[in-house]
Amino acid sequence: MLIIKDLHARVGDRKVLDGLNLEVPAGQVHAIMGPNGSGKSTLAYTLAGRPGYELISGSVSYQGRDLLTLAPEARAQAGLFLGFQYPVEIPGVNNVYLLKAALNAARKHRGEAEVDAFEFLTLVREKMKVMQMDETFLSRGVNEGFSGGEKKRNEILQLLVLEPSLALLDETDSGLDIDALKVVAHGVNTLRSPNRAIVLVTHYQRLLDHIQPDRVHVLARGRIIRSDGPELARELEARGYDWVLNEAA
Amino acid sequence: MSAMPIVLPSNRDENWKYANLRALSRARFEPVPAPEAAQLKDIAARLPAVLPGYGRLVLVDGHYVAELSTAAAGFSITQDVDTHEKPGADQRFANLNRRFRQGTCRIAVPANTALALEVICVATASSHPALDITLSHGAKLQLIERDWSAQNDHATLVNLHLVAQVGDYAKLELARIGHHGAKAQALDTLELQLGTSATLKLVQLIQGALVSRSTALIEHVGREASLEWHVAALGEGTQHHDAFVHVTHTAPGTRSLQCFRGIAEDRSRVAFNGRMRIEPAAVGTQTDQSLKCLLVGHEAEADVRPQLEIYTDAVKASHGATVGKLDPDVLFYLLSRGIPPATAESILKWAFVSDVLAKLPSPELHAQVAAALERQLPGAATRALS
Repeated sequence: MLIIKDLHARVGDRKVLDGLNLEVPAGQVHAIMGPNGSGKSTLAYTLAGRPGYELISGSVSYQGRDLLTLAPEARAQAGLFLGFQYPVEIPGVNNVYLLKAALNAARKHRGEAEVDAFEFLTLVREKMKVMQMDETFLSRGVNEGFSGGEKKRNEILQLLVLEPSLALLDETDSGLDIDALKVVAHGVNTLRSPNRAIVLVTHYQRLLDHIQPDRVHVLARGRIIRSDGPELARELEARGYDWVLNEAA
Repeated sequence: MSAMPIVLPSNRDENWKYANLRALSRARFEPVPAPEAAQLKDIAARLPAVLPGYGRLVLVDGHYVAELSTAAAGFSITQDVDTHEKPGADQRFANLNRRFRQGTCRIAVPANTALALEVICVATASSHPALDITLSHGAKLQLIERDWSAQNDHATLVNLHLVAQVGDYAKLELARIGHHGAKAQALDTLELQLGTSATLKLVQLIQGALVSRSTALIEHVGREASLEWHVAALGEGTQHHDAFVHVTHTAPGTRSLQCFRGIAEDRSRVAFNGRMRIEPAAVGTQTDQSLKCLLVGHEAEADVRPQLEIYTDAVKASHGATVGKLDPDVLFYLLSRGIPPATAESILKWAFVSDVLAKLPSPELHAQVAAALERQLPGAATRALS
């Protein structure tokens, strides 16, 4: 699904990714953990094509295509979804409109007709139930006045409606209370499928208590310095990052 | 007529600082003949659908046209020409209207009654519509005033003059929509006076014309009179839209809100000059100004100027003015959802003016306005209203 080879990237003058290698097969959930400033969000933004995140060298293959040559919207239309750490507020654009516009953009890319209004509302209501969101959220401005937890639920609602092939979830667990964490995790788990890959960027083991990863990677100094099974996350939770940084040094 | 010559304002006048006076000075002011039957047939075919619940008055080049109008009550047309010209730069175009108008359309709403009217001012060449509105005690008027260029590619001139007396406890809801052609010049002068506990809520969309200048002079003469003034202006190409709103609070406990949202694209210029004057007797007055412009285009220009003159204590007055570009973080968020850049920009531009346009009084008018904006805001307009 996703193969990253020797990826070097910078933000402004600062080189953040420094020879990153990562492979995420379809059907798997991978967690990327690492200390602050290690490059986790930069990796997510670089893959999603955010302006200002500049590729220096390396390659990213997504479903056999060169991801980095695609415009941001083309990456999304091809099935890549970025769940933002800090979802933006868009007053004046209501949630239901954004969901429909995004879904129709993906359908258009696949050569399908625009979604029927009734079919769309049925789909959205079903997904909102999964996320335990009130329907009043649909008519509100995107993330406008939402709490931190509501914004994250809204990100996962978009994820569930769009059903991408590759989901990059950047610290989706930050700012969530225990109950909201379970709801968000449940939402992500409903999306697990043999045809889909999920990459969780997180600081904490607690998200991984609810979403069992197939692999856990430690990202430090712009590269993956260790990869292992789910037990690695528990070890990091218990021992911190120093030992793994020292081993890699 | 032996009237004195009218000297146009200059940009040295603070109230006309942002106006495109060069273009306005080239405007030709001349008497306009009544429209011919063939013209009316053509116009009738292209007017928007009648809004449910609203009577309609149609003026073509300032001439009242009974056969295109549906309203039967609440108004009268008089052929008198107002010769009471007023001094001052802000009155000069109103004075020109007084000279060239083809009668005055008078709308009088009796005490404690309600009326909903749509007035369409069609311009085929030059047009000098005149509206004189009186709301008696406790009356309510929902008025939609639309300026309509009969031909998109004709160099039309509209110079409207609207006077309204909003009586004690009366309520005027005024929606003003510009449907001007690409070569149109649009001028208007509004003189509005609010009585005790009177309310006036205006929603205005400025767009389409090559050059526009809107002058509004409002006075709160009654205690606790209340004003809301919501304006959206969309400039593109080389268009130049300038609005000046002068609100004078002379009575205690009065309120006013000015909300302006302007988008300047390409090489256009959009300006809003909002002046609020709080007189010594206007104790306890509250005012708020929120003026925001969005620049979309390297050569676009936007000017927003909030002005407060306060001559008494115990007032609450706030103001804010910003000029900015589309937020790249928000734009990227939309792109990351697969929405193409042009559509994303269009969505955000619509969102920028949506809090003004949301104030439009009827769903049918919403839909008509959205359709009119479809070219400038492709995709977003009709969908955002759904």
